[in-house]
Amino acid sequence: MPTIALRNISKHYGKGGVKAVADLSLEVADGDFMCLLGPSGCGKTTTLRMIAGLENLTDGEIAVGERLVDSANKGVFVPPERREMGLVFQSYALWPHLTIEGNTDFGLRLRNVSKAERQERVARVMTTLGIEKYRDRYPSELSGGQQQRVALARMLVVNPEVLLLDEPLSNLDARLRLEMRTELKRIHGEFGTTIVFVTHDQWEAMTLATRIAVMNNGTLQQVGSPEDIYDRPANRFVAEFVGNPPINIIELGSADGLAGSAAEFLKRHGKDTLMVTSIGLRPEAIRLTRVKADLPDADLCGPVVLSAILPTGGSWILELGGDGQKLHATTNVTPVWDDREHLFFHVAADAVHMFDGDGNRIGQDDTITTNDVTAGDLPGQ
Amino acid sequence: MLSDSSESDGEKRKGRLAYRFRTTWREPTAVIGVLLTIVFAYLIVVPIAALLYDSVEVQFGDQRRAGVPIGGLTSYYLSRALFSPIANDLFWEPLSHTLSISVGAIIISLSVGGVLAWLLGRTDLFGRRWFATALIVPYMLPSWTFALAWRTVFKNREVGGQMGWCEALGFTPPDWLAYGQIPITVILALHYTPFVILLFGNALRRFDSQLEESARMLGASPRAVARKIILPLMLPSLMSATVLIFAKCLGEFGVSYVLGLPVDYDVLATSLYRSISSRQPGVAAVIAIAIMSIGIVSLLIDARLVRESRKFVTVGGKGAMDRKNSLGKFQIPATSFAILIFVISVGLPLLVLSMSTVMRVPANFVLSNFTLDYWIGHGLEFVFFPSGILLTPDLWKATWNTLKIVGFASVCSGLMGLLVGYVVVRSRVRAVSIFLRQVTFFPYLVPGIAFAAAYLSLFAVPRGPIPALYGTSLILILALMSDQMPYASRAGISAMMQLGKDPEEAAQVAGAGWFRRMISIVIPIQKGALVAGVLLPFISGIRGLSLFVILAVPGTDVLTTFALRLLDYNYTQAANAVVLIISAIAYLGTLAVQKLTKTNLADGLES
Repeated sequence: MPTIALRNISKHYGKGGVKAVADLSLEVADGDFMCLLGPSGCGKTTTLRMIAGLENLTDGEIAVGERLVDSANKGVFVPPERREMGLVFQSYALWPHLTIEGNTDFGLRLRNVSKAERQERVARVMTTLGIEKYRDRYPSELSGGQQQRVALARMLVVNPEVLLLDEPLSNLDARLRLEMRTELKRIHGEFGTTIVFVTHDQWEAMTLATRIAVMNNGTLQQVGSPEDIYDRPANRFVAEFVGNPPINIIELGSADGLAGSAAEFLKRHGKDTLMVTSIGLRPEAIRLTRVKADLPDADLCGPVVLSAILPTGGSWILELGGDGQKLHATTNVTPVWDDREHLFFHVAADAVHMFDGDGNRIGQDDTITTNDVTAGDLPGQ
Repeated sequence: MLSDSSESDGEKRKGRLAYRFRTTWREPTAVIGVLLTIVFAYLIVVPIAALLYDSVEVQFGDQRRAGVPIGGLTSYYLSRALFSPIANDLFWEPLSHTLSISVGAIIISLSVGGVLAWLLGRTDLFGRRWFATALIVPYMLPSWTFALAWRTVFKNREVGGQMGWCEALGFTPPDWLAYGQIPITVILALHYTPFVILLFGNALRRFDSQLEESARMLGASPRAVARKIILPLMLPSLMSATVLIFAKCLGEFGVSYVLGLPVDYDVLATSLYRSISSRQPGVAAVIAIAIMSIGIVSLLIDARLVRESRKFVTVGGKGAMDRKNSLGKFQIPATSFAILIFVISVGLPLLVLSMSTVMRVPANFVLSNFTLDYWIGHGLEFVFFPSGILLTPDLWKATWNTLKIVGFASVCSGLMGLLVGYVVVRSRVRAVSIFLRQVTFFPYLVPGIAFAAAYLSLFAVPRGPIPALYGTSLILILALMSDQMPYASRAGISAMMQLGKDPEEAAQVAGAGWFRRMISIVIPIQKGALVAGVLLPFISGIRGLSLFVILAVPGTDVLTTFALRLLDYNYTQAANAVVLIISAIAYLGTLAVQKLTKTNLADGLES
């Protein structure tokens, strides 16, 4: 199975017009379940369509394994129909005039597969996806989830080496989404296909992908495992885009309130407060206590006022006021505090994300570590 | 960048060029786009250009009068048509006739159609649903069907042949009632009333009744609501109907020919026809250009109005006009009015035409006077026409010609429309897509008769490798096809837009090449659009007259010109019979399209 290499690819619309994708380089390894994640309009779908050959490059090249399939400078272009990839469209794009069987065996017919084999392969993929009982129906007679399965079956049946998915779950309701997510993960394991999929939904990305490429404004922000992306965001954009509720950002510069607490923390750890201009705290990393004396010395801490408790069913979002700025914390334990109560928050030193003036993460080496991460330090205990 | 520094700039440029070439011209779409561009440039742009040139180029026989040798440039035709002593007969009087007929037809059809639209859309009128279809019928039939019916009833001794019914009953209609402005105006008004019902009715239906109810809540009386809320919001659709009727009246030939000719009442279209048949192509070109210019200006005004009206879109949510006003004590007068209009505009004309074909002597309603001889009899008293119309070989020849010419042109325009749609939506070369979209729409701005004149001026003589096509079926097919392109290409573009590119791209990713995608995906999905795209031009072509009357010769007789010729020979029964046949085909065809495409005629009119 091949790797897909995108080398410095760009896509501009019109002469000197909008840059949908700018100088993007990305390698998708064999067997990867790679997710292109970003807000709408960030160029992720364009990138996917360029891999499929449906959009042309303005610059750069794309190689699948050893085979160069697209190169704006060498004049190489392999048309989509000869790239041997599968693409599942956001709209599913089932052919309305063909039955489910007709949709599914279209690709096999094109490849002149014998009738017996065709029937066998169609039956197998339909059974795998649980759509065998709809084989004689037309797409308009199926529900969204079933159509989605047909769209997948249609592409899987030809055993593509690369499967591309464009927002595959966005048109499904919450329950089906969960079901299909499991299904996709199973398919990835079962068929061993390299999958590239596009989504703006971080949950989808986190739960499905083996690797995530975060994009913004046509440029690549960070590539890494879901844990990398969440725990070690490369810059403020990635930190703020991934996570719900979003990460708390504290801008440094003031000596009071949260910024003051942060500055004091940095100084305590011997950090250059001029280089670090903001810090990020994940909501679930924030813990609360009534007594300041209990806090580990290494932690970032400071006084806050609990301003609201928002139950979300099984967990709670706590809104904390601290001199004009707000923090959001989450907890899975029933909060025992009163509204408007004065408390202390604290965050383990290695859970503090630091960013420089350009919004870039201050590197791994600079990360503050403490030997005693007080894991059991739950609120109220 | 990936290119190593050793790679020369020239090589890179060559690579980039190859890439652009490969990605742009890889698929037949681009080639087809270029071919279509050439074809339509030749079929639409060049004839108009030839017409423009004809108006300033000295024609054969005019050297002396123009004072310039043949082929030289002259303003002779312009001054002859517009400023000479005969300019009044050639241009100014026909222009004023055209204008007064249009204004009269617009006023009548707006008031009658407006009232009917309101009755049909917003009241509990008795038999509303039936009327909604029945009152649209005149629009499906050729307008001059009614002119023939009128002539059958009101004609006087001014014209030979059978007596009119009135005269046969002892009352000689005066010329003003039998021919000229009044009958033409009335008939065009009745023909375009359905048009107003459809346009205005659609606007009324979409009107959000919450707008009206809000005014009522604030204390406005029903009359104030009508005057201050409904009318202003309906104004754009009324204006639009006005302009469209005007543009259609401008090119109207059949009615004016049937009812204007006996008293030399010329409109622009008939004046153009006379200039062509008296071999004055220069003057004809000037008149055609005038018709075309007025047509273009009025449709540009319409486009402007439509754009303006978008500013206050009144598409209602849930409140859209389900509530009906109760007519109460006006139920009977209102229903009678609707019945009256139906009788005048559909019932009577068709009854008169049908009866005239089965009666030996006009208006003698005894049983012995009725006969089927004019349809299927033998040994009739007419010289050129000894047996019933259904037994006349000429009818079958004309029918065959019609089917052949109109059918072929419709199939071509349907296919071309879909192709144009495909290229416009898919082409990577923007210029091609814009040019095709606009050039195929252009004939819409040009009344059919002016377009025919343009074809005549281009194809009457051999030009370059193209032989003279006048007198062949080909010129009719080409003209008809180009004339239908606005509808065909619009239908094609919207069908392709609606399809989107996903299904085709899905096939592409699955491994299908261009031809396979066309045959297995695009055409099967667009089957319905294609059928409609063939049938609609067919219906309008089969009842069309103005193109044929200029371009057809006896060898290429179609049903419409055949009927007209029978009329010229005063074979009333036969002419009426042929017109009935045409009407039946047009009516059934329209019903078939509505059934097949599950659309309403009204939707097609507005887009």
